[in-house]
Amino acid sequence: MQVETVNLTQKDRKAVLAQMIEKGGGNLTKCIQCGACASVCPVAITGLPLYCKRLFRFLQTGHLEEILDDASSWACVACNRCTEICPRGVDPFHVVFAFRRIQAQELAIPASATTSLMNFYTTGHAVYGDASELRQKVGLDPVPPSTLKYPEALKELQTLLDESPMAELGLF
Amino acid sequence: MERCGLYLGCNIPLKAPDIEQSMRKVFPALGIEIVDLDGFSCCPAWGTAPSFDIDTWLVVAGRNIAIAEMKGVDLMTGCNSCFGVLSEAKHMIEEHPEKKAMVQEKLAKINKTYEGKTKVYHIAHILYKEIGLEKIRKSMKYKLDGFKIAIQPGCHILWPTKVMEVTEKNPFYPTMLKELCEALGAEAPYYSRLEYCCGMGALRSTDQEKSFLLVKEKLLSMKEEIDPDMIVTTCSSCYLQLDGAQKILKERGEIDFTIPVLYYTQLLALCMGFDAKEVASISEIPREEIIEKIQSEERAQ
Repeated sequence: MQVETVNLTQKDRKAVLAQMIEKGGGNLTKCIQCGACASVCPVAITGLPLYCKRLFRFLQTGHLEEILDDASSWACVACNRCTEICPRGVDPFHVVFAFRRIQAQELAIPASATTSLMNFYTTGHAVYGDASELRQKVGLDPVPPSTLKYPEALKELQTLLDESPMAELGLF
Repeated sequence: MERCGLYLGCNIPLKAPDIEQSMRKVFPALGIEIVDLDGFSCCPAWGTAPSFDIDTWLVVAGRNIAIAEMKGVDLMTGCNSCFGVLSEAKHMIEEHPEKKAMVQEKLAKINKTYEGKTKVYHIAHILYKEIGLEKIRKSMKYKLDGFKIAIQPGCHILWPTKVMEVTEKNPFYPTMLKELCEALGAEAPYYSRLEYCCGMGALRSTDQEKSFLLVKEKLLSMKEEIDPDMIVTTCSSCYLQLDGAQKILKERGEIDFTIPVLYYTQLLALCMGFDAKEVASISEIPREEIIEKIQSEERAQ
């Protein structure tokens, strides 16, 4: 007996997939929900709701608006255990980050990320703090040889960022 | 290899400069001149450009790699996140000719050239592959016989192997850091959460309590299974988490012990006889006692 394809959703799956492809997560279509990624994922282990496998199912069935504000994806540490273990070549890390990029476009961004981004633009370091005293205490120059020491280097970085699509978000 | 670019990132020069100083001491002493990558920026960290736009990620990473390339050196970093971000970016740039052309075009506007000659290494790779265990053994003033170490390689040095120059035989059972610690005379036994994530990075900034679940489980696994004298890591993020979160867990009464934490080049520098004030003097969990034991007269060679 021939079994007809079961359609689990009436959502616009193609529109969501098109966005995912544009943001670098096109391998989403290869996922068969085996769960290998989730078995090694720190986000899944800690019990956050929208870990890799579950996120992918929402996206595959065209549910995007429903999950846009969930912060789980921003807890992904990019460890890439999933990429190593996935038997289908999904590159789950790239899919999670593609979803993050869609969230970012809609400004569904945690405060910690906006602070890092502002630090990154204004100093060249996402993690920033005045370390001159600590550095001198251990016998180093007060300023590391980075954008902090070379203003023209910071200007180069800012030029690259100003000309990027990121500038349109108005976060720096 | 006679010279190598040292890519510092953010955490090492700004939160734990004693780690930076330990690198500046050990590499020249082992025959590798450190070249500073003047004007480098943040790699860009996972939560910045990689979370917003792939091309911006590749261009900023490409700029950092280009600084090394224009000085004619390969690049090594002691931060696992930087290693992951730069390795992944280099892999994407080299795999996709159109991305490479895009990076070259954007960098040309700021007078930087990128060809792709510079390789991206972790400092552990340079110690293990370029310098080698034998040379490390011979450099030691104080040997670590009788010490037990819990090793913490961290995530980004292990996965994904397809983007790296140097890999473990099985990244889920890593041995490089174990061998580096054993070369110092110490024992570095397996514990069941050895390859687990420490909970730092995005997890810590997004949900601190979830992050603490992971680090607590790791610390308990170390303590109950091997009861180490110290924790040794080659990741600056793991270092900050294992040291900083451990103090918080102890204050809350969630653990009833503390284990001192050292970055590998700090431990190596101490074994080579460098001054602890310069190479290992900034931490939340006190290290004076273990340092005194390491640099003791009876251990001197």
